[in-house]
Amino acid sequence: MFSELSHSSRQGSCSLLCRPGSEDQDPSVFDRVQPAYSPCAERFRLGERSFNRQYAHIYATRLMQMSPLLTERAQQKWGADVPIKKLCDLQMGEQCCIVGTLFKHMDLQPSILKEISEEHNLLPQPPRTKYISQSDELILEDELQRIKLEGNIDVDKFVTGSVIAIYGAEKNDGKFTVEDFCTADLPPQAPRTPISSDRFVLLVSGLGLGGSHADSMLALQLLVDMVTGQLGDQGEQSGAATISRVLLAGNLLSQTTQDKDASTKAKYLTKKTQAGTVDAVRLLDELLMQLVASVPVDVMPGQYDPTNYTLPQQPLHRCMLPLSSSYPTLQLASNPHQASIDGVRFLGTSGQNVLDIQRYSGMDSHLDILENTLRLRHLAPTAPDTLGCYPFYLKDPFILEECPHVYFSGNAPSYQSKHITGADGQDVLLVAIPEFSSTQTACLVNLRTLECEPIRFSSFSAGDDEESEMNISH
Amino acid sequence: MDDLYLDNIDEFVNDQNKIVTYKWLSLTLGVHVNLAKQMLYHYLDQKRKESSGQLHATYLVSGKFVENGTMSHKVSVVREDQLEEVKSKMSLTVSVHVYSVQKAVLKDSGLLYSADYDAIKENLQNCSRYSAIHCANAVPMTSAEVQQDRFTSQAPPPETENIKSGINGHSGPVSKLASKQPKGIMGMFANKNVSKNQESDKEIKLEQKEDAPVVETSKTKPAAKTNPMSNFFGKQSVKKPDKSIKEEVNVAQPSSLGKKPSSPPPKADSPVKEEPPKEGKDVRSKTKRVDHSDGEENDESQKKRRRIKKPQPDSSDDEVIPDSPPQLQEHKDTSSSRESQVKTEPVVVSHSDSSHLNQERSHCKTRKRRRVLKSHTFLDEEGCMVTEKGYESESYSESEEEFKTSKPNQKIPTPPKPTGKKEDEKKSKKAAAASNKSTKQASIMGFFQKK
Repeated sequence: MFSELSHSSRQGSCSLLCRPGSEDQDPSVFDRVQPAYSPCAERFRLGERSFNRQYAHIYATRLMQMSPLLTERAQQKWGADVPIKKLCDLQMGEQCCIVGTLFKHMDLQPSILKEISEEHNLLPQPPRTKYISQSDELILEDELQRIKLEGNIDVDKFVTGSVIAIYGAEKNDGKFTVEDFCTADLPPQAPRTPISSDRFVLLVSGLGLGGSHADSMLALQLLVDMVTGQLGDQGEQSGAATISRVLLAGNLLSQTTQDKDASTKAKYLTKKTQAGTVDAVRLLDELLMQLVASVPVDVMPGQYDPTNYTLPQQPLHRCMLPLSSSYPTLQLASNPHQASIDGVRFLGTSGQNVLDIQRYSGMDSHLDILENTLRLRHLAPTAPDTLGCYPFYLKDPFILEECPHVYFSGNAPSYQSKHITGADGQDVLLVAIPEFSSTQTACLVNLRTLECEPIRFSSFSAGDDEESEMNISH
Repeated sequence: MDDLYLDNIDEFVNDQNKIVTYKWLSLTLGVHVNLAKQMLYHYLDQKRKESSGQLHATYLVSGKFVENGTMSHKVSVVREDQLEEVKSKMSLTVSVHVYSVQKAVLKDSGLLYSADYDAIKENLQNCSRYSAIHCANAVPMTSAEVQQDRFTSQAPPPETENIKSGINGHSGPVSKLASKQPKGIMGMFANKNVSKNQESDKEIKLEQKEDAPVVETSKTKPAAKTNPMSNFFGKQSVKKPDKSIKEEVNVAQPSSLGKKPSSPPPKADSPVKEEPPKEGKDVRSKTKRVDHSDGEENDESQKKRRRIKKPQPDSSDDEVIPDSPPQLQEHKDTSSSRESQVKTEPVVVSHSDSSHLNQERSHCKTRKRRRVLKSHTFLDEEGCMVTEKGYESESYSESEEEFKTSKPNQKIPTPPKPTGKKEDEKKSKKAAAASNKSTKQASIMGFFQKK
């Protein structure tokens, strides 16, 4: 891994704990590896932005695009002669298979209509981290009808908007008893081109600039210094030279830079005040400037970044980054981002899709949710129900048509990664990139072996008894 | 040069009471980062031997670290007294070096960040000059290249996500407008205008059948809408000199650096430092100008906006058209034809004359295309009934339209010759109501344009 690589290449070079010029050599300079890179996120770019369409089209196209896949899966699983029915053709008691979109009826799901209509609801609802409850029900919808589901299906694991195939029979009470279900599962994967040497891609998320995490700033600077080859011994620097790309997965700015009052305050009151994001973006520009002068960087926006809120989030505008945008190494990317780096296909988001599913399902681990979305073959099933989304019309760009090699999501509470393998030999590395501002952790993905390793940055605090005592006394 | 740097460091640490980090030293003395680390070590080592005064140092330790079974690469800055402890916790130590030297004991490592901050900020333009990694690709583009890059990056992506807009957006006069607009930032704004245009067009088309004057406003719209665009042209031209300054700076920098490679960069950077305030001034002056135009009604652009608000079949409308830069043959045609219409109206009210006019016009006009909102109902693959509303372009000749419009036109009393007939008054009221509708539209648009 990275440590060993850096350590091994250190052999023979002099230590930095010595006098300068003792060996009378020029300080060595390493060349940054130059990987082949091609962004392939065109489908997440919005051409025309027209918001006067209804969201029903997304569900319609999603079902239309997914149902052939699921029909195929169902026939693989339950035999080629399994009867696949529309809901309108359903006969009572007949064993058959149905393909449809799930809708999860949730009592706790916040609804603006409910809030308005219930006059007695004077008590403000406490903010919840999860909206699931015992009374949740799953309903399957096809093009025309819907039917309630019961039986062998875990309500907590599913979310609205997922397209699945179920097998079972309709009972007398009009509910459908599920015996088994299947998802679209992993899409086909293009083989990777083998790479001879170790190369890394650094994944960082949640820089949280402009926030109150003052101590994370040194860690961030250490990260930048490490990547740009300032920090450490020559071994470390030669290791850092193999970092071929840095990918910033969203939430570059802190949530605290968002001023909720700004929209409600009168204009004349805010005339002289400066938005909280201005300084933070300037800071970001300086930071990116240091990075892009030494390494190619992909910058994805996140939930709190100054771009559109709805998925797919469009790239930050380069006018905001006057210094760094003059470098060709800066790549401003959209929020679901897809790119091929040295033949390794990266796909991922800044984490909104995962966080939303976490809220509306029983799953907690970001990694599990990530795997689940991959198996559902859909990046963001809860869009547009509970996740902001552009009203797509003819195509749902979040349906995965090709299996990525590295599938990531940003702003996780902690670092997690694992490999999953598909039925057709797909090999996918799942990475939950931790929020840097709170964990001071980034991840390095080895492009040769598809292994992932966290890098932690720490300053005095770790294991420091004195300091913790002092903190207590305050 | 041998030990001159020791005196330098001594001065920084003891006399100026600074926190001297390796990075700050590297940037200040203009030496390679690894050399700076060794210098700090040498200095520290020597002072310890002399045992003169109290010195505190922080070290950087990195290596493999195993925690809860997960392996990670750990990079930490530690105080001298924790150095051995941290090193022993690492299963594999990759690098150890002096991070900083200072007189006082550091309680908070955040100070190390602020110690470096100013030096980094001053040397942003060449921050990786002394680092150990060189990236061949990371060469800043010239402003011309940046412009070009913007073109490519902002050219509409090949996304054909909605057929609707495909048909909608880019046919007829609007598309011609769009094609004439410059790309880049202005292009973006312009696109927005186009889409607004479409919306307003659409609504106007719905009203089209109701009354004639509205049709005329619809014609003036595309031309009038270009005014904000021309405003952007103005702003762009203001910005241009600024960019050339930047270019000059870019050119000037390397040469000055080339002369004094050993000197610390701040000198060379001074032109860069001057720049931001300039830009700031520019921005301020711009906003000021906007404020003025808000207050003073006699601003030219303001006038135009007002005109948009009250699109009456008035001859003064014609002034708008020559102003707008993306002038089109078609628009000229329509405007000139309307001009003639307006002029003839007060004088000629008879039916025969107007039809004569029409004939004239139909001679000079070829067939045109316009977009009409139509709904289609069909069965899709699943047998569902689907109703799609979409714009379709259909061809029509000017004369057809004129024929429709000319009829009410005859009866509408013209301003110079008010007749007392009740019927006419009613008609005019209708017309006024219709135009009111359109003014509402226009005034909302005007509201957005102000910003």
